Amino acid sequence: MADSRPLVLLAGPPNSGKSTLFNSLTGLRQRVANYPGVTVERRSGVVRLASGRVELVDLPGVHGLSSRSLDQLVARRALLGEMEGGRRPDGLVILLDSTRLSSHLMVAESFLGLGIPTLVVLAMADELDRRDGAVEAAELSRELGVEVALVDARDPGTLGSVHSFFEALLTGGEEARACPAVAVADSHVAQSPARAPTRPLPVVDLFSARRDRARQLGRAAGYRAPRESVVTNRLDALALHRIWGPVVFLGVVALVFQTIFAWAMPLMDATEATIRISGRYLHGIMPDGWLRSLLIEGVWAGVGSVIVFLPQILILFFFIALMEDSGYMARAAVVADRLMHRVGLQGRSFLPLLSAYACAIPAIMSARAVEDERDRLATIFIAPFMTCSARLPVYALLIAAFVPAGPVLGPILGRQAAVLIGLYALGLVAAIGTAALLKRTLLRGRPLPFVMELPPYRMPSARSVATRLLDRAKVFLRRAGRIILAVTVVLWVLTQLPRTPDGGSPPIDESALGRMGQLIEPAIEPLGLDWRIGIGLVTSLAAREVIVGTLGTIYGVEAEDDTTLELRAALQRDMDLGSAVALLVFFAFALQCMSTVAVMRRETGGWRWPSLQFAYMLVLAYLGAWAAKSIL
Amino acid sequence: MLAEVPLEEEVVLVRMDVAGEDVEPLLERGIVPGCRLCPVRHAPVGGPTVYSVDGCLVALRREIASCLCVRSALEAAGVLDSN
Ligand SMILES: Nc1nc2c(ncn2[C@@H]2O[C@H](COP(=O)(O)OP(=O)(O)OP(=O)(O)O)[C@@H](O)[C@H]2O)c(=O)[nH]1
Ligand SMILES: [Mg+2]
Repeated sequence: MADSRPLVLLAGPPNSGKSTLFNSLTGLRQRVANYPGVTVERRSGVVRLASGRVELVDLPGVHGLSSRSLDQLVARRALLGEMEGGRRPDGLVILLDSTRLSSHLMVAESFLGLGIPTLVVLAMADELDRRDGAVEAAELSRELGVEVALVDARDPGTLGSVHSFFEALLTGGEEARACPAVAVADSHVAQSPARAPTRPLPVVDLFSARRDRARQLGRAAGYRAPRESVVTNRLDALALHRIWGPVVFLGVVALVFQTIFAWAMPLMDATEATIRISGRYLHGIMPDGWLRSLLIEGVWAGVGSVIVFLPQILILFFFIALMEDSGYMARAAVVADRLMHRVGLQGRSFLPLLSAYACAIPAIMSARAVEDERDRLATIFIAPFMTCSARLPVYALLIAAFVPAGPVLGPILGRQAAVLIGLYALGLVAAIGTAALLKRTLLRGRPLPFVMELPPYRMPSARSVATRLLDRAKVFLRRAGRIILAVTVVLWVLTQLPRTPDGGSPPIDESALGRMGQLIEPAIEPLGLDWRIGIGLVTSLAAREVIVGTLGTIYGVEAEDDTTLELRAALQRDMDLGSAVALLVFFAFALQCMSTVAVMRRETGGWRWPSLQFAYMLVLAYLGAWAAKSIL
Repeated sequence: MLAEVPLEEEVVLVRMDVAGEDVEPLLERGIVPGCRLCPVRHAPVGGPTVYSVDGCLVALRREIASCLCVRSALEAAGVLDSN
C-alpha cells in the first residue's frame, strides 16, 4: 500500500548533506558531491523501520522558497504538496550543516512553521567536533519547539534520533507533534502559492530580523562556530593564488584532456579487441544465414563500435567526480569566472560546460545550479557545442580514413591528434561566439550577482566516485543498447526490402533504404556527400554515433575481423578530403541527439528553445560544411 | 565600500545598495546587514574575491562588493545598526 506510507521530505540549504543522509537511511545511491547544487530533481526512497515504512524524498538544496530558481520551485512545490500526486507531506526533515549554523539557521526559518511534524537535523557533527565547534541540540530543540538531532550523515550509527522521529510518525507518537507556526511573518510560503507578484519591499529588513533571531537561537543553544579549517586555508592559498591558481587550473584541464586523448587509448584498444574477438567467436558458433548477418554484422558491429568509447567517458567523469568531491570544482568556478564573464557567462557555468565534453545531457541538468535564468539558458544552449563523447566515434573514423598519420610538433603532437584538437577547438569557438551573441540579443539583461559558496575541502570518497561511474556506465550502455540496437535492426530490414522476384535481397541502391537515401541526396550534394552518408545523417539524428553503425550496415561490410578498417576503405573510395572535412564540420555543429532535445524541452519548459537551437545548429552546420567543402 | 577593504581586515556590513531582486541571493547566503565580512583572498586575474562571511567562505565579484557599504569591525563594536 504505497499511499498509506507517510511521506517525509528532506529539505535544506545546498551542500548540507541531504543526499548523504538520504543514502544512509534508504540504502540507495543518490549522487553526493562537495559542490552546491548537485541534486536537481526530487528522488524518493523507502526507509524500513520496525513498525513500518516511510517514503523519504530528497530535494534539491535551496536557501529559501521564493521560487526564483528551478531548484527553489521544485522544493517549494514538494513542500506545499503541489507535485503531480498532489500529496501533502506528512513530515519534514530540515537538514542544516552544523559547521555553518549561523547562516543555515536563517534558512531553516523559511521551512519551519509549515504546520507539519518537523525534525531538524544538524549534519557534519564530526567536522564541527574536529574543528572545536559546539552546539547543544537539546537547547536548540527547546528554542525551536521541534526535535533536533546532531549527526554525522555518513555514519548510520549516529542516526538513532532520525529513526525515532520516523517511528513516531508511523505510530503517531509524542515526538511527531506538528511544528508550531513560529516566525512565519516573513515566510514566502505564507503568501499565495503563485509567484508573489511584487515582493514586499524591505526584504533586507526581513532578513536582518531573521539574522537577529538566528543569532539569538545560536546563542541560546550554546553554538560555538568551528575554527576555520587549516587544510582549506592552505589549499586555497594555492588554488586561488595569483600565479599558481591559473597554473593549477590549466594543469587540471590539460591533464583531463591528455588523459582522454592519450591514456585512454590502451583501455579502448582492449575494449575493441574484446568486442572483436567475441564477435568472431559468435560468428564461428552460429549457423550461416540472415540471423547471423543481422546479429554479427549489424548489431554486434554497430553496438560494439560505440561501446569502445566507454573508457573515455568514464575517465572524464572520474576527473569531474574527483574535482567535485574534493571541493576543487567550486574553486575552479571562481577562477573561471573572469574568463566566463568575458563571454557573458559566469563561473557557475564552468561545471556544466566541462561535463558537456562527456555528454550534453547531464550537463544540461547540472546547469540548474546556475542561478541566473538567462545565464542558465545560455549555458544550456551552448552545451551541445562542446565535443561530447558521441562525436568521437565519427571523428575517429573519418580522421583515420582521411588524415595521414605523421608528426606536427615532433613526437608530442601527431597530425591526427592535431585535427582532433582542432575539432574540439572549433566546437569551443562556436560555443563562445554563440554565448556572446545570445547575451547581446535574446538573453540580454543585467545578470543576478555571482555569489559562490566555497565548501571546505574534503577527501573524495571512493564510494561516491564509484557510484558516479557506475551510473554513467549504465546510462551509456542502455543508450547504446536501446537506440543503436533499434536503429540497426530497422536499417537492416530496410536493406532487405523489397524482395527481388526470386525472393533474394535487393541490391542496396534499389532497396527501400537506398531509395530514401536518394531522396535526401540533392540536399547534401553541395557538400560532396552521397546518399549513403545521407542515410547516416538521418539515423544519426537519434544519436550521433549511430552513423558509424549505419554506414557499417549500408556498406554491407562482411569482414569477419576488423570492421572499422573495411569501413574506412569504403569511405576513402566514396569521398574526397573536402567532403570528409565537410562531414566533420557538420558533426561538430549539428544537434544530432534526440535525448539532448528532449532534456532541453524539459529544462526550458517548452519547444521554443530546443527548436530554435536545433535550427540554429543545423544552419551553422550546413553553412560550415559547405564552406569547408568549397575551400578544400 | 567592501571592494576597497584590504585583505584580512574584518568589517561589518552596514547597507546594501543592490537593486531589487539582486539582493536576495546575497541575503540568502548570510550577507545581511550586521554580518561580519573579511576579505580572505583575491582570485587570480582580477576575478572574484573570497570573503569569510560570519566564518563561511563566499566568493563575490568586485561589482557587487562595491555596492556593499561596510564599516570597520572595531568601530562598529558597540554601535548597533538597525538599518
Ligand atoms: N564530514 C561529513 N561530511 C558530510 C556529512 N554529510 C555530508 N557530507 C559531505 O558533504 C558534501 C555534500 O553532501 P551532499 O549529501 O551531496 O549534500 P546535499 O545537501 O545533498 O547537496 P545538494 O544536493 O547540492 O543540495 C559531500 O562531500 C558529503 O560527503 C557529514 O555528516 N560529515
Ligand atoms: Mg543532494
